[in-house]
Amino acid sequence: MQAQVARSAAPADFPEPSERISRLRATMLSTPYSVCLERPSLLAAFAGSPEGRRARVEHPLVRRAMALAHIFANRRPHVYPDELIIGNMTSKRIAANYYPEGGSVNILEDIFRLERRQIPLFLTPAEKWRLVGLGLRGLPGSVAGRALLKPGRLGRFLDFFRAKRYFITEEAGVGHQVGNYMMAVRQGLRPADEEAAARLAAGTLADGTPLDSDTTAFFRSVRVTIDGIRKMTANLAAEAEREAARPDVSPERRAELLESAEACRHVPYEPARTFLEGLQACWLVHVAMNLEDFEQGMSFGRLDQILWPLYQADIAAGRLTATRATEILASFELKTCETMPLYSERIDQYFSGNGVAQGITMGGTDADGNDVTNELSGLILDAYAQCRTREPALHVRVHAGTPAWLLDKAVRVVQLGCGKPSFFGDPVVVRALEEVGMTKAHARDYAIIGCVELASQGRTYNSSDACLFNLPMCLERALIKGRGTLRTFDEVVSAFRAETRSAVDDMAMVMGWLEETYRVWRPTPVTSIMTEGCLAKGRDVTWGGGLYDYTSIQAAGFADAADSLYALKKMVFEDRRFTLDEFVGILQSDFRGQEALRVELATRLPRYGNGQPEADAMAQVAADAFSDAVRAHRNTRGGQYIPGFYSMTCHYGFGRMTGALPDGRPAGHRLSNGLSPVDGVERRGPTAVLRSAASLDSRAWANCCALNLKFDKKVVEGPAGRHALASLFRTYFAGGGMQVQVNVLDADMLRAAKEDPASDPGIVVRVAGYCAYFRDLQPAVQDEIIERTAHGLE
Amino acid sequence: MGSSEPVGASRPEPEPSAPGREAPAAEREPLILSVQHFCIHDGPGVRSLVFFKGCPLRCAWCQNPESWSPRAQLGFKPHLCIACRTCVEVCPNKAVTAPGVRDHGRCRLCFTCVDHCPSGAMVRFGEPRSVESIVDELRPEFPLFRQSGGGVTLSGGEPTMFPRFAADLARRLKAEGIHVAMETCGEFDLAAAGDLLASLDLVLFDIKVFDDAEQRRWCGVGNNRIKANLRAMVAAAAQGKGPRVWPRMPLIPEAIDTPRNFDKWGGLLQELGIPRMTLVPYHNLGDAKRDWLGISAVSLVKSDPDRTAAGHPRRVPGVDSCAPGEEVF
Ligand code: SF4
Ligand code: SF4
Repeated sequence: MQAQVARSAAPADFPEPSERISRLRATMLSTPYSVCLERPSLLAAFAGSPEGRRARVEHPLVRRAMALAHIFANRRPHVYPDELIIGNMTSKRIAANYYPEGGSVNILEDIFRLERRQIPLFLTPAEKWRLVGLGLRGLPGSVAGRALLKPGRLGRFLDFFRAKRYFITEEAGVGHQVGNYMMAVRQGLRPADEEAAARLAAGTLADGTPLDSDTTAFFRSVRVTIDGIRKMTANLAAEAEREAARPDVSPERRAELLESAEACRHVPYEPARTFLEGLQACWLVHVAMNLEDFEQGMSFGRLDQILWPLYQADIAAGRLTATRATEILASFELKTCETMPLYSERIDQYFSGNGVAQGITMGGTDADGNDVTNELSGLILDAYAQCRTREPALHVRVHAGTPAWLLDKAVRVVQLGCGKPSFFGDPVVVRALEEVGMTKAHARDYAIIGCVELASQGRTYNSSDACLFNLPMCLERALIKGRGTLRTFDEVVSAFRAETRSAVDDMAMVMGWLEETYRVWRPTPVTSIMTEGCLAKGRDVTWGGGLYDYTSIQAAGFADAADSLYALKKMVFEDRRFTLDEFVGILQSDFRGQEALRVELATRLPRYGNGQPEADAMAQVAADAFSDAVRAHRNTRGGQYIPGFYSMTCHYGFGRMTGALPDGRPAGHRLSNGLSPVDGVERRGPTAVLRSAASLDSRAWANCCALNLKFDKKVVEGPAGRHALASLFRTYFAGGGMQVQVNVLDADMLRAAKEDPASDPGIVVRVAGYCAYFRDLQPAVQDEIIERTAHGLE
Repeated sequence: MGSSEPVGASRPEPEPSAPGREAPAAEREPLILSVQHFCIHDGPGVRSLVFFKGCPLRCAWCQNPESWSPRAQLGFKPHLCIACRTCVEVCPNKAVTAPGVRDHGRCRLCFTCVDHCPSGAMVRFGEPRSVESIVDELRPEFPLFRQSGGGVTLSGGEPTMFPRFAADLARRLKAEGIHVAMETCGEFDLAAAGDLLASLDLVLFDIKVFDDAEQRRWCGVGNNRIKANLRAMVAAAAQGKGPRVWPRMPLIPEAIDTPRNFDKWGGLLQELGIPRMTLVPYHNLGDAKRDWLGISAVSLVKSDPDRTAAGHPRRVPGVDSCAPGEEVF
């Protein structure tokens, strides 16, 4: 009798990569990382050139556009073997771009050990010298330098290096956009160029308002910038043609290169005519956006929607097959691995993982709420299954009408163990975006910026990763300042809220200085062209041109703050085990001589993440303290400040700076991560974690949140695991969940959990027929599971 | 093999002999070991497992030795202990002489030490729970059960030791439209379990050693009644008068995972017309739990999770077999 059971065959679930994709992937995985010095060199050359001298007396918007156009027009094009989407991100195969006007100078901290870093960087000795020269020369001209190297602000400049209460990412750049790729692909940049020309000729905005010097400068900056982009793409086309003309090129490759050249002569200025041209247009504009501001979080939006008509037309005309489309998509996705961030190891503890998070969003609804998942949604996932690389970031929107096949395929990708894609609950996300002023139709057209942040694609200027915020430290400070005066728990909460408010106020003041500096020294014409609203208003995004404008602040240590509030309430005000002053004294001594108390606090009290209403209620108190403080501000562009709940890896960096907390966390220990519970406190499994998270009122969280679940591969493998995860997600989103991502554990994570059980985030592993918490296993059994995970054994 | 000495742990357990703890004639109120959530290998869909405390068997390889005794037990998890000596101080009977060291004769199982232990190293195995409290704990998961086609699995231990309570629980869940399964070792009074079985959708029936004497040697109890119950339940299911029966066999080296044993079971299962079953890989996680309970490990069976069909094809003749989680129920 033949077995009638469904067998798991994860790799075979996806189409095999072509040899080309396998080769490209191998190249991207084996190429060492470096730093590209072309961009800063071109900027320096421009500054010293006659044109650069002319630019100095121009309006800041034009001055900036001229500098950027110089970079675009003069960078050397490279076309690499095998690739179907062309356009080099840097002068090297994989490198970080260098932004002297941003925060790249931090890399000089590592200059003597670049090759020995955890993420090694390889430069020739001459390049290192050049890097030092460019870095030091650029420092006073960086945004942070211009904004903060001033009398009275120096302390804030140093704050950047201390990063205790907050970490202002915006000093490095704004980045983080979902540009209007729908426009770039379907209309091209020509209408923007012509509109700018028309405005300049008419001397008025579209609504008849006469142009002033600022709006005039804006329209000029648009034209200069688009001209630069056209030169860049023409140079690239010429390079592809040169490649094609080489005698050793095969006829097939020659045809591909000529097709690419033809595409680059057409897009992104003109509308794309084919699927390939559509992706090529996205990539070219993406390169321009990367070269403009900085590399973080530059995202493509809803590519399955943007490319769908082109795909359909190509298929109908017999020009394309699904297999070929997948190959083109895989080539595109591998292009995203050409870039990387430039962090010193000190900064890396806040943003570890070498990610820039170029997001692609799949699925979701149209403006009326109808599902618009299509075949491309799946092909993008298929292509990623062939790549399995650190980039791009993949995001799946889930709503009641999401077809089962998409969720199933997305979970198959999760099973590959790369931590992608992440999942977003449409109803809750859309509601949060409507709360901050988006129309329902625009909110429903949301796409993910970078990791989890939100934008209505092509209409939003969201400085979405402006700042990360240490929430538990506000509680710590409130308790210390309030010694002898706080008498009730309500007073503790008020003091915590006041401290949070004051820290956010401080931060917003610094942010205001940065925003002013951006307007003068670092406007972003490419982003402005790619953001609806700017052409109508005649304003750069940094001047408030975007249709929607936000600045987003993210809380780290959310669950630690929540659980600490609960512990205070219970131990001091309900059980009266200590006075508040005694308790604060114990915290200040870092639980010296009080290990039993510390362990009791850490293990015996109700905690957020177990579906216990009393603990989850405190999570809401902590979330509201932060949301209210953030939402009380507007940026200097007039945009609303909005809160998010994710922490990159700031929970490590901030943790070092934060003293002992009432929830039993010792001083210096890392804080909780994003919206996740404190590591190791979940006792009731992932269903309870998701229930706690979904129970929170997230209407104010317009910059979303990150909730990590971690599973042993054995728990989620096979059809049963897939079905379980898909059901888990559906139930979570139906119950009000906002976001969730799953990590399938690797051996290193398990080793760390074995070494330091306190770091074990409630990892559930499968031991033969049983699921158990990893921390509950005997060391020998733990070793076996580590072995099994390391070797991928059955 | 060949000896008639029991290899299992039918030895006396280190338990106090407090009065009133012997099984009364009427069904005692069960103690619940735990409710485990997000289980996907014990029946269809996503399930929660309710572990009953108490089991008539004493299998040498048991992975849940804390489920043997129907009484509450005190355990000690050394890896969690921070040596604060609170347990020594708070024990009203001076039974704890040092962290992890207990004079069983003095211990009255008052669990004061568990209440005060800050780290969770002192643990109580077995809590009295009402049916309502269990249903209440499970209720937030009903949407997930429905979404995934899952439900609740009564496990243990041996739920059939508490037929009234288990039937009550199963009925309450069924009334809310929840799929209910039960794992059983098959050693129970079929007549007493009638109500319970009538309230179940699925029974995961553990089959072990075919030979009665051999099973007695490994598990402390023979299996004539187990086989009779299997027959009767399969027959009832065939007439639509009882829950579906799905056999599961743990792959215990030497005892169960032998060609001879496979062949014999194959004969019976074919005769009963059972088309499919599950083979459960074995792992000696139970050893850790024995340490917690102070039961010396019966380390006769070595962990061998990756053992492939050494010497035999590991097929029960005539029956499709699959791994847990691969079943199509
Ligand atoms: S009270 Fe708990 S942690 Fe303290 S010594 Fe006893 S068992 Fe160990
Ligand atoms: S259960 Fe009671 S008697 Fe037994 S050791 Fe603990 S405190 Fe002492």
